Formats: sequence, structure tokens, C-alpha cells
Amino acid sequence: MLYPTAKLSRFTAKTLVGAVAVAAYVLAGGAPANAQIKIGFQAPLTGFAATDGKSAKIAADMAIEEINNAGGVLGQKLELISYDDQAKSDQAIFTANKLIGEDGVKLVVNASYSASGRAAAPVFQKAGVVMIAAYGVHPEITTTGDFMFRLVHLGPPQGRATALFVSNDLKLKKISAITMDNDYGQATMEGFLGAAQKYGIQVINKYSYSLTDRQFGSIVASVKRDEPDGVYATGYFFTGGPLVAQLRAGGVTAPIIGSQAFDSQKFIEIAGPASEGTYIADSFDRGRNDAALQKFFAEFQKRAGYPPENVAAISYSAVELMADAIKRANSADPPKVRDALAATKNYPLLTGELIGFNSLHEVIMPISVNVVKDGKMKLFAKLGDLSAFAPPEK
Amino acid sequence: MYYIDLAVSGLSFGCMYAMMAVGLTLVYGLLRILHVAHAAIFALGAYITVLVANASGSVGFGLLAAIAVTPLFGMAVYRLLYEPLLSYRPDVPMIASVGLLVLMQDAFRIAFGEQGVTFQHNAYAFRIFDIAGVRVNAVQIAMLVCAIVVFAGLHFFTTHTRIGIGWRATVSRPRIATSFGVDAVRVRYLNFAIGSALAALAGGLVGLLNNLVDPVIGYVVSYKALAIIVLGGLGSVRGTLIASLVLGMVESYGTIFVGTWLNRDAIAFVALIALLMIRPQGFSGARTA
Repeated sequence: MLYPTAKLSRFTAKTLVGAVAVAAYVLAGGAPANAQIKIGFQAPLTGFAATDGKSAKIAADMAIEEINNAGGVLGQKLELISYDDQAKSDQAIFTANKLIGEDGVKLVVNASYSASGRAAAPVFQKAGVVMIAAYGVHPEITTTGDFMFRLVHLGPPQGRATALFVSNDLKLKKISAITMDNDYGQATMEGFLGAAQKYGIQVINKYSYSLTDRQFGSIVASVKRDEPDGVYATGYFFTGGPLVAQLRAGGVTAPIIGSQAFDSQKFIEIAGPASEGTYIADSFDRGRNDAALQKFFAEFQKRAGYPPENVAAISYSAVELMADAIKRANSADPPKVRDALAATKNYPLLTGELIGFNSLHEVIMPISVNVVKDGKMKLFAKLGDLSAFAPPEK
Repeated sequence: MYYIDLAVSGLSFGCMYAMMAVGLTLVYGLLRILHVAHAAIFALGAYITVLVANASGSVGFGLLAAIAVTPLFGMAVYRLLYEPLLSYRPDVPMIASVGLLVLMQDAFRIAFGEQGVTFQHNAYAFRIFDIAGVRVNAVQIAMLVCAIVVFAGLHFFTTHTRIGIGWRATVSRPRIATSFGVDAVRVRYLNFAIGSALAALAGGLVGLLNNLVDPVIGYVVSYKALAIIVLGGLGSVRGTLIASLVLGMVESYGTIFVGTWLNRDAIAFVALIALLMIRPQGFSGARTA
């Protein structure tokens, strides 16, 4: 019990310092002429997840600038107060307390990974702060309480949607299933396996691999023996790339369906010509004829020097959605913003049309499937049967 | 056919492990140091291969550059990190070695990015040979050929050349070798140079096979190689070679029986624990530790 106590006292000390600073500021007569609405922001700017965190930060800064250039919200400018959580639980809790105690933030966009988002959620919930998790997929983020929202599909609904796609669109009956051994890979595969039975898909064999593995010789040999109609694999682009390359090199010609985190230009770079024809479920439809999306692509490329990934797009949309909710609530008061967010209907996210939030504040939106064609991600199908991949309710 | 496919994959894993582990076991034999940072040299070799290959347009040139540069690095690690610590208990240099590994992994991350580097032209990973229905990739063949050449060369070197015989003598009986006029310090440099070059070659080939060199490339092989040298009977080259091939095969064939609920790395470690319980002295027969 020593550790939490130490942490609490450090927190109290920080709050005290913060309070004194605020008091001094007010006494000095420094109330700003143009009041600002503060949006807290957490992302992994250093550490293993820094690539995603930096993209998220660039995108969020872009959103704030554009909103402010267009006159702000309710006559006030938005200010992004951002902290590096290193995608670690302890840093997430520490910076969440800082945001609440020192910065007096009431509305937060958490553009971080599952572990850190899950750790920050209870801190914000307890303080009555609204948090939008841009892409953290841990189920406990939204079950923490009613101030929490999430903008991506959970793993199991993604897997169920994939089963629907495999059965209805590709009409494949016999599947070899390859699972990445982490929360995301397993949860997504569980959704797939559960729904596969319903759609009459026969899963011939299941294989698993660790997050650090890049050599799949024995899995490839086994899949070849299976002679499946198709191969479904969960993983990230850096495992999926070598996997797809090695499956094709080994002579597996059946269609390959990958999970959401395959969706990166880097996947195509790694798998090279072998990536052609790979389907990626719940991916980001980049080619959509949408002025806002194309403008975002151009501007992000200019600022970052590389094209935006899903993470960047969803972080941008999270900030915009928060601003939109403040507008609709006509107030930056957290309970009112929460209610406005919960009432969101047909809001255009860069990643697709958000139909609304369910009772647990999980997204209800269609799922896009991309296919790799001529070295580019192209939209292949849009799954609109929302009941097939409905998120869990409260 | 299935079993032959698995054998091919197991053999190529095994050859890669052997090239990686031989340097490690020799360092242990000579200095009684667990040279954990060897995995960082493996990763360094992979990075040099991919960077030089992309800059020059030639994969072969990339591999050569890795084999040429990493021995210098390996010798510098000995001179600057291990030599000053030799008078301390063996766990002191080992902890320094762990520190170097962590430092280098993060240095790769910072210098070359979290997402890793891919080969711009990697004809080998996508060139497939169909040998009587068994499909083998050019890099897998290269792994096998390299391992055969390397171990045959090492065998010749340590039985037919003066310095090689001196090396072998120093590993097995350091004091007697010194009294016969073998320069122990020169042997150590030689040892780090050759071990590093082999690790770099293995790293470069793994990078080619994956078509990706990322900061965690040395991570799995680092602890697998440690397990291999224990299984091989610490300090024994022959034992290490056998242990590497056994591990490669176990991983590959293990997928048939337990692939559903255990991944390759887990299969490898379950097998290692079982083998060490049956044969704690390892495959080499004699205890050298």
C-alpha cells in the first residue's frame, strides 16, 4: 500500500501548487480577455508507441487550428493541453491527474493505446471529466462509466464482421485461422470464431504466433496442408507483412483476410508483391470522395512528411467531435457535453459515418473492407448489417 | 510433403540459430561472460545490411558491409565494456551487457524509427525454387548454405591453422594454452570478431527473410540463443550446432501437435525445459561450465 499513498501525496502536493499558482494568477488580475476552452490530450509521444502518438498529436493540432481559424466554439478559442503518456499505465494516471489538478481540464481526448487509456479512464470518470478514447480498444475503457466514449470498434465486433464478410461477400467455406497472441489479436479472433459457426464457415485449423515473431515457416507449411478456401489472420502490419509474404512464397494461393491493424502502407511495403489481393477488415476508406478527407490528407502530408494512418484520422475526428458536442450542448460543462456526445447522430468522422453511440458509448458505424490493389489500399466492400457486429451494451 | 515442408522450415531456423549462438558460446567458453549484447550485434548486422543494400542497390553488398563492420564493433565491445570488468564477478559484465542491449535497441528505435526499415529491392525473399514440389525461398537456401560453409570453415580453421588451434586450446584449457605461448588476448579479439560477423550474417539473412528490420529483431533470438548455448553445453561449438538444429526442428514440428494453443516461441521453451531436465549437462556430454 506504500506506492498508492506516495502517489496520492504527490498528487495532493501538485494540486496545492496548482491552486497557489491559480490564486496568484487571479490576484495579479490576469483574467484573459478571450476565454478559452481547454481540451486535454494524452498520446504516447515517446517510447515504443511514439510513431502513432506523434501522428495523433499532429492531427489533433491540425483540428484545433482549423476550429480556431473558423472562429472557435461558442465564441471561445480551443486550447489543446497535451501530455506524453508513453502508452504506459502509470504515466497515463500521472498525466490524467495533472490535466485535472493543474490544468483544470474538463474534456479530454485520449489518443493512446489500450493499456494507458484503460488506466486513465477511471481517473477522469471519478473527476467527472468527459473522455473520448480515439483508438484504444480495451473493453474496460467504456465500462468504467458514463463519461467515457470510444470511436473504434472493439475486437470481437471486428471479428464478427469479418466472418460476415468471408461468408457473404467472398463466399468462402473452409478457413485456416492464425491468431496473434495478444489481447487485440485474441479478442478479434474470438469474435470471428463465434460468428463463423453461425455463417457455416468451417475453421479447419487454428494457429497462434507471438507478437515478436516474424518467421512463419511452420504455420505456412500447416496452412498448405489444410488446403483452405481462405486464410484469416489477426495481427499488426509488422507481423502481417512477413506472414503474407511467407504464405505466398510457400505456395498458399487462397485469399488472405487480415485484421484492422494490417491497414498501413508499411504492410504493402513489407509484403511487396505478395500483398496484392489481401483483404483488410475494418479498415480506413482513403479514397472516399469527401472534400474534408482529401483536405486532411493533403494538409497532414504537408505537416508530417508522410501520409496519415488510421490513428491520425481518428484523433483528428475525436477533437472535431468534441468541439461539435460543445456546440450542440451550448456549453463546455462536462455533463452537458457528455449528453450531447451520447446524442450524436450521423456524424461524419474521417474514418466513416458515425451513426451514433450505444448505451455503453461504443460506436455504431458500418465497417469498410479494403483490398490491396496495385500497391494501394482500395475500398472493396462496405458492411452495413449493423446487427451482425453490434457492440456490447451496458 | 507436409513433413518435408516442416523440415525445410525447421532446418532454416536451426541454421540461423546456430550462426547466432556460436559466437555466444565461444565468448562464454573464453571469458565466462554471458554476452547478452550479442543480440544487439545481430540487430546491428541486420540494420547495416538493409541500410547499405538500400543505399547501394545490392543486397550482397549490404551483407558484406555487415560482415565487415560488426567485427570491429564486437572487438570494441570487448575492449571497452568487458575488459575493464574482467576482474569482477561474471555477473557484473553480464549486467553491463544487458545494459548495452537495451541501449542499442532504443538507439535503433530512435535512429531508424519504430516501424522498421524494409528492403527496397529484395528479389531473394520473393524468389521461390520448386524442388520436387517443395517450395523453398532463396533466403532459406542461403541460410542453409551459409551455415554449412561457416561451420565447415570453422572446423578447418580450428583444426588446421595455428591461430585456430590456439583458439580452441584457449577455450578448453586457457592456462595451459598460455603457457604454450598462445596469446590469450589476441584469441579474445579473434573470438569477438568472428562471433560478431556470424551474428551479423544471421541478422542480415533474417532481415531479408522477413523483408523487415525493426528494433525488436534481436529480441527473440537473444533469449533463444542463451537457451541454446546452455542446451549445447556451455562453450561447446558442436553442442551448440546440435542444439540449434534440434530447436529449429522442435519448433517446426511442434506446430503440428500444439500449434493451436501454443505459439512457436512457447513450444521452443517448453522443449528446452524438458530437454534440460532430462539432460542437464546439455548435448556436448562433458560439463565445461
